Formats: sequence, C-alpha cells, structure tokens
Amino acid sequence: MTIEQEILAGSVKRSAELISLIEQENPEGYKTLANLLPWTGGAHVIGVTGPAGAGKSTLINALVTRFSKEGAPIGIIAVDPSSPITDGSLLGDRFRMKEADNQENVFIRSMAQRSYPGGVCKGALGAICVMEAMGKKLVILESIGAGQADSELSYLVDTVITVFTPEFGDELQLMKAGLLEIGHIVLVNKKDKPGADDAVSALTAYAASGLRGNREVPVLSVRADKGEGLDELAQAIEEAHGTSCAVDRKRQRREKYRHFATNLLREKVWGLFLEKFSESSLTPVLEEIERGGLDPYSAVEQVAGEFERIIGVGKP
Amino acid sequence: MKKHLRILVAKVGLDGHDRGAKLLARGLSDEGMEVIYTGLRRTPLQVVNMAVQEDVDAIMVSVHSGAHDVLVPRIMALLRERQADDKIVFVGGIIPEEDTPALKSCGVKEVCGTGTSTTDVAALIRQHLKR
Repeated sequence: MTIEQEILAGSVKRSAELISLIEQENPEGYKTLANLLPWTGGAHVIGVTGPAGAGKSTLINALVTRFSKEGAPIGIIAVDPSSPITDGSLLGDRFRMKEADNQENVFIRSMAQRSYPGGVCKGALGAICVMEAMGKKLVILESIGAGQADSELSYLVDTVITVFTPEFGDELQLMKAGLLEIGHIVLVNKKDKPGADDAVSALTAYAASGLRGNREVPVLSVRADKGEGLDELAQAIEEAHGTSCAVDRKRQRREKYRHFATNLLREKVWGLFLEKFSESSLTPVLEEIERGGLDPYSAVEQVAGEFERIIGVGKP
Repeated sequence: MKKHLRILVAKVGLDGHDRGAKLLARGLSDEGMEVIYTGLRRTPLQVVNMAVQEDVDAIMVSVHSGAHDVLVPRIMALLRERQADDKIVFVGGIIPEEDTPALKSCGVKEVCGTGTSTTDVAALIRQHLKR
C-alpha cells in the first residue's frame, strides 16, 4: 500500500507522520498532500476562537464527546503559541480533552504556532486535509487564545465559534474590529458566573446590529465543563452547516484558500528575503537604527529601495 | 526547514504526583522543544495512542507509584505493536536503582531519577535522537 492508500484507509500513524512532514515544510510531504486533495473537503470544519482561558478546549472536549457518541469520526487540531525566545512550546490543550481523547474515532493533534501570525499555524490547513482524507466528518480547529487578530482562522474553516466569558469587558470591546466579525456562532461560556445574562444581552444586541451583513448570528450561553447548553449549540452547528449545499461549501472554501495562500506566500517571501538579503543590506541598516542614526521608517524605505533595484536588475 | 523535536510527557497509572512532569515539560519547552503533556492517570494504551497521533520523537514517562515495572513494559509492548518503537522512551520519577536494568532491557533508553536537571534530560534526548 502506498502512504496515500494507508491514509485513505484511515491509518492514524501514517496520517500523523504526514502532518509532521507538512509542519516541517517537507517537499515530499507536500507531494503526498497534493495527491490526497481529491479526497478532501468532505468534513464540516469548525474553528474555535476566543481569549485565553475562555474555555475553548473544555468546550471542544464536551462537543466532541457528544458528537462522537453519535458515531461521527472527528479530528481535532489544537494550536498553541511557540515561544519567540526559545522557539519551544508547551502544547496544553489536549490535557483538557480527556473524554474526547478516550473516544474511538477521535484523532487529536497538537500543533505549535511556530511564529506564524493570526492565531493558527502554517501546517493547520495541511492537517485539516489529512484528517479529511482519513475520513473525518467533523474537524475542529482550536486557535491560540489570541482574541483580536484571529482572522487567519476564518480562512481555514467553514464555521467559526467565538467563545467569550461573562467578563469580556463592555460594548466598546465588541465594537473593535476583529474577534466578533469572523464569528458565525457566538458563545458565552461559564454561564453560571455573575454577569452572564448581561454578557449575552450585550452580545445579542451587537450581533443584531448588522454584524456579518444580514446573516443572523446566534448568541448562546453554555457551561462547557458541565455540558449545559450543548443541545442548543449542537443545533446551531447543524444549522450553520445545513444552510449551504456541498458544492457551495467547496467553492467558498477555495475562495478562502486564496487568502490563506496569499498569507503563506508573504511568509515564504519574507523568509527568502532574509536568506538572500540580510548580510549585504539589512544588517548595516539595522545596526544604524541601533546606533540611533536612522529611524525605522526611513530605514525601511532605504532597504526597500535597494531591494527594488536588485530585483529590477533581472528585468529585460 | 527546521525539525522541531516533539516530546510527550506522560503520567501513567494511579499516581497524582505531577510536579516533576510539569517541571520537565516546562524545562524541555524552554530548550526549544514542543512538549505535549498527557495529564494525570492515563493508561499505557492512552499514552501510546497519544504518542502516535502526535507523532512525537520521544516519550518521557513519569512514575511515582512504584508500578513502573508493570506500566512501562506495557507501554513498550504497545509501541512495538503499533510499529511506533522508533520513538525513544525515558523513565523518571521514583525508580529504585536495582530496577533500572529491567527497564532498560525492555527498551527504555534512560532512567532519570529525581534530581536530574531538565537540561541534562534535554541533552540526553538530543544525544539519542542525534539532533
């Protein structure tokens, strides 16, 4: 059997190894992934975002335990931050998913951000595709508990659930661009805490005032650790998925991949730039900034000018 | 294209002492590794399932209950069964010295008792994985 066939037959080991190769940006891994593409796109991919400590992992644990008991094969991808200093990472989401972890047919993969911006990691899309090729019908992607700049997540998933707690702040926080704009379902977790009702009203009022055009955004409250409110949430998820047909979903997803590819390219080009450029032109300029002889804005203009000249040389 | 080391820190069996496991998890991530912690009281099968799903390079098993002579060989056997015995296994916690040979003979690479520094564990991991 080829690696592709093993993955299509559901091999956890081969799938896990392929995800590692994709994470390492290994060309062989990308090739295998490309071969698997015809078998992807079959799952409902849900993104879960929200501030750190909102209960994202606990919520996923409760949801997955529920759905997997109904027999659905499920994949979970949990992204946690990498240290900008050591590059290391403590991937602690799985730890909160004990019940989900015990279900047959649930595949959990923890991934480190590895300096990719936007609350997810570079390999997340690859991991989604591998899980779809394995036959997972539901894939849940948990973003880093970032909060206000998680737009990247929305390019990778069909449905975004934004998790708040009763202490999210006031209305002004909601009016800021970012977090709420990408959500399809808004949740207030820890609904037993004081202020939960006010939080739901504030979010409902905001959601009703034209968020996401004219699409209605359900605002629900749950207590994830006790499983309270999950029936309503499960129904909202079904509805979010059911409103579009499979062909539409695939088209929408490909549209989003355009954005993701653009961002991947930005990262790639930046890496190439550093590789080719740092010694000759960048380092002296950066040193000049450190000495106080140049401000960052002028420095960037200077480097960009030189870069333009260099790539201009290749033109006929 | 940098290969990050991925490490599973595992607590198995009826054992609530995870200060050491958490310290090690923190220490190894400070060493630039990507560390997944299993949480307390996992079974050998759960540990091996996690190691396979996460495709880790090494498994650090921490045992303070005295049941290492039962739990660790079970982990090793399950790894072989899943053809995942390329992952290296260290054992730490409270392990009497005279038990080390038996653990090593079932495939454990290192036995690091209490007092071993996390830097030393990291160095041993790199040494065994040649990275």
